[in-house]
Amino acid sequence: MWKYTLRRILATLPTLLTVITVCYLMLHMTPGGPFDSERKVSAAVLANLQAKYHLDLPLWQQYLYYLNNLLHGDLGASFRYADWSVNDLVAKALPVSLLIGGLSMLIAVFSGVLLGIWAALRQNSWVDHALMVFCNIGGSVPSFVIGPLLVTVFALWLQWLPSGGWNEGQWRFVVLPVTLLAVINLSTVGRVMRGSLIEVLSSNFILAARAKGLPMSTIVLRHALRPALIPVISVLGPLAISSITAAVVTETWFSLPGLGKLIVNGASNRDYTLVLGLVVLVTFVAVLFNLLVDLAYALLDPKIRY
Amino acid sequence: MKIAALFIALVVSQAALTTQALAAQVPKGIELAAKQELVRSNGPEPETLDPALAESVGANQITRDLFEGLTATTTSGQMVPGVAASWKQTNPTTWVFTLRKDAKFSNGEPITAEDFVYGWRRYLDPKTASPYATTLAPFILNGMDVAESKKPLNELGVKALAKDQLEVKTPFPVAFLLDLLSNTQFAPIHKAVIDKFGKDWTKPGNMVGNGAYVMKDWRVNSAVVLEKNTHYWDAKSVVLNKVSYLAIEDSNADVKMFQSGETDYVERLPPGSFEQFKKSNPADIKNGAMLGLRFYAFNNKDPLLKDVRVRKALSMVIDRDTLASKVTADGQIPAYGVIVKGVNGADVTAYDWAAWPMEKRVDEAKKLLVAAGVKPGTKINFTYNTDQYHKKMAIFAASEWKTKLGLETEMENMEFKVLMKKRHDGEFQIARHGWVADYNDATTFLTLVQCDSDANDNKNCNRNAEDLINQGNQALDPAKRKALLTSAAKLVMEDYPMIPLLQYTLPRLVRSNVGGYFESNPMDRFRSKDLYLIKR
Amino acid sequence: MAPAARSPWLDARQRFMRNRAALVSLLILALIALVCLVGPWLSPHAYDDTDWNQMGIGPTWDGWHLFGTDELGRDLLVRTLIGGRVSLTVGVLATLVSVSIGVAWGAVAGFVGGRVDAFMMRIVDILYAIPYLLIAIMMVTILGRDFYLVVLTISAFSWMDMARVVRGQTLSIKSKEYIEAARAIGVPTHRIIFSHVVPNLLGIVVIYTSITVPGVILTESVLSFLGLGVQEPMTSWGVLIHDGANVMESSPWMIWFPGAALTLTLYCANFLGDGMRDALDPKTR
Repeated sequence: MWKYTLRRILATLPTLLTVITVCYLMLHMTPGGPFDSERKVSAAVLANLQAKYHLDLPLWQQYLYYLNNLLHGDLGASFRYADWSVNDLVAKALPVSLLIGGLSMLIAVFSGVLLGIWAALRQNSWVDHALMVFCNIGGSVPSFVIGPLLVTVFALWLQWLPSGGWNEGQWRFVVLPVTLLAVINLSTVGRVMRGSLIEVLSSNFILAARAKGLPMSTIVLRHALRPALIPVISVLGPLAISSITAAVVTETWFSLPGLGKLIVNGASNRDYTLVLGLVVLVTFVAVLFNLLVDLAYALLDPKIRY
Repeated sequence: MKIAALFIALVVSQAALTTQALAAQVPKGIELAAKQELVRSNGPEPETLDPALAESVGANQITRDLFEGLTATTTSGQMVPGVAASWKQTNPTTWVFTLRKDAKFSNGEPITAEDFVYGWRRYLDPKTASPYATTLAPFILNGMDVAESKKPLNELGVKALAKDQLEVKTPFPVAFLLDLLSNTQFAPIHKAVIDKFGKDWTKPGNMVGNGAYVMKDWRVNSAVVLEKNTHYWDAKSVVLNKVSYLAIEDSNADVKMFQSGETDYVERLPPGSFEQFKKSNPADIKNGAMLGLRFYAFNNKDPLLKDVRVRKALSMVIDRDTLASKVTADGQIPAYGVIVKGVNGADVTAYDWAAWPMEKRVDEAKKLLVAAGVKPGTKINFTYNTDQYHKKMAIFAASEWKTKLGLETEMENMEFKVLMKKRHDGEFQIARHGWVADYNDATTFLTLVQCDSDANDNKNCNRNAEDLINQGNQALDPAKRKALLTSAAKLVMEDYPMIPLLQYTLPRLVRSNVGGYFESNPMDRFRSKDLYLIKR
Repeated sequence: MAPAARSPWLDARQRFMRNRAALVSLLILALIALVCLVGPWLSPHAYDDTDWNQMGIGPTWDGWHLFGTDELGRDLLVRTLIGGRVSLTVGVLATLVSVSIGVAWGAVAGFVGGRVDAFMMRIVDILYAIPYLLIAIMMVTILGRDFYLVVLTISAFSWMDMARVVRGQTLSIKSKEYIEAARAIGVPTHRIIFSHVVPNLLGIVVIYTSITVPGVILTESVLSFLGLGVQEPMTSWGVLIHDGANVMESSPWMIWFPGAALTLTLYCANFLGDGMRDALDPKTR
């Protein structure tokens, strides 16, 4: 198990390098540069800007320059936000995304598992259908509709919560965005849990346990849950990553200074270094989460061995 | 004789200015709120707060509070003295400014003429690589050459004659120099701070400016918080103690923050919502004309559009009145020329057919197309960037061209940067374009249609108009200059290089208890020092 | 005498019929698809007919604007139906493509294991890390704007989740006795994967497919919003809803109708998915 973990961690490096190289090439191949704007930048100014950011060097040289900096932990200077380094920007956005993403994941997993189990145990009854209707809100209604609805109800009509802003993470500003993300993630977790548990409950060893006369709660908790959780865990990896990095709609709507907005704006602004820096971060996060998920498989199913 | 007359006129006018009230003009009888703290939205996160590098509206809005140049603009659009107490024009291309004795930086140190020299040189220094350098550089002697690395920094036309005397030279008479210098790109910069902190000098705690406010906190992508600068020379008339600029990207989210009471100022309303808010918030709704033009660029080199008759026809049939009153419905003004209402230095020009009834215009346009050999069913390609507003206008234009001329428009919607590149490279047929004035003078708009101008994506060129513009720039008599520039504008527009459509307005929501906000502010330049909160 | 053998498909159909929610969903979906297909031909309005005198009005019988009009005076009913055509087609096609790739990828990786698994999953990791906006812009600008391109772009970053889920499930299945048995008999690997592993994955695949469909349709709307999807005047539910969300307070019909259509469709797809999973489960016999 430990050898496996070590091998996976070492494998991160080639992954990282590949990702950086691919993104780097893609960024430079995409039409439009960081300094294209409504007003055409004069040739002289463009030359100055390119000299300042080393964009006048041949591509491969810029690439090596970037890698060199990366090895020293320096993600470079942002093209768009002249006053901040990419390290600064990422460091400031990360806690926001972690808080919102992390909280919403916890809530989504907790409630999704519970609701999924309940629905599976009452398969095909009206309870099952009602629970699934609730679960599926997040998967059927787009986030850019749920968001405004939440704001209209809670911020404008009831005036309980602010409609947006971050204010250093004060809890009032956290409630609505977390709710939005949790509702969206809940649908996936709930449905997968339900489907998976139903499948497990019909396997032979569960039949055997029932034949033995074990009470249902024991059967579910001690025998059925573990294998049933495997697909749920599989889903958690991508969900966690997207909660942190793809929450751009939530962040835009609630004006949160998170990573999702940073990535999308960076791509739109052709802010090469910012995008690459974020890509490096996301790669680490993705690799880490996937590793944790794979290790969890082994814990849940004793027959899975690496 | 002419020069003397000009000289006298200027001395008299600057004397008049100094006797004007400069304080945040709180009218008598208004009771101020106890808490003077404004929270407002500022659009997307500013790209920088270094005044030399600031290019976007949002960034300049904040730098205008943190720094002050020789002159400044009030919320009603008037030009007033800033750090300069007085000035005189010794000859058409030389000005001497005398600085206030009590002007200080936010760290208590006095401001000297050398600080201006340093600041200006830094702004135009190729190493600083300001994206905004060549926009304002042409108006200072050797400015362009310095920015293009053709001349060394010390040849820039600014010199410290004494500790409180600054001499500025221009390459040709610049009538609007005072307005130009109110841009914070020309603010004094504290050299020691830059030497000490380098790139980090704009971070909270490091920054030293000379404006009415200092930066208390900068939470990236969230808010910039400013506090009153106690060392500011006019601090006694600054009413607002604290201003928070929130970075809000989505205009719908912006409005929601206003409605829930989080902010008191919406930077820009979502497109198409003006009528709705006019009804629901009559006391808060504000809308004023601004020096900006919405237009469609023609690729004058395109085979279909090479013929001026085709271009004229396309421009004639668009019903700008319906466009303004029904389609965009937020008080924008139909435009039939490149000069907009309210700009100094030239008059608004319009086509003679602008007054014709639409049927007559359509008939004439059809005749023009026939003469040019363009048949109904011909395809035209229109590119624009993703935006609700642009989309609406584009669909309207396309439907006008279809129903009135029978032309099929292929609409190509693309990402902003991609559109910019294609437009600058000439890879388009008709493209959406917009332009906001950099300074209050007609030349900022004329540059859109001038030969060899960086701002001209149409790639048209009318040498006669160019001559008129050059003559106008050399003219010393403002009336003569105006006449020349107006004729140049009219002449160039007869070539139909582009389709002017609407003049920008600024629909926003500003809570009724925010005083000092005027809708007649053509450059949309506000300083927080002129605002105050009325007791509710 | 042994009872007559029952066809597993007959079994499945019977089980499916028992799930009322799934049954109703199937009918509703079929109805929606039919209306979207046929409806626009029956409407007096074309989907791009602008009417500058009837901009942004609510539902009314006058002028046959049963759903109202949008801010350019275009009939919302016919646009919702046309949008439905686009969204449903994109949803089905993109899902088919991404499911095929995802299942094949995950099953092979999970079953073969070792270096091959590591390599294939590293590629998945890499694709996760690359911001999809970047890929989308690249693909559109290089390959051109085409409806099928939208489908391809969406499929390109929707298959990874399926691959991971399938791999996880495969790992679990691979250690089961019937697989050992098949191996002992000497069934070739590719046969084991496709005849034994995949059918047992059906349950989770069906569920995840019905999770993918709404995701795909929503992704399409985000792409259109960024200028990378369907071009004006063509529209899709995603675009209509996005535009409607912006004017929710002043013109609520603009979001209610397309929103209801989309939500209804997705709910039905979800229930249908669950119903199919329940029906096809090889274990409940």
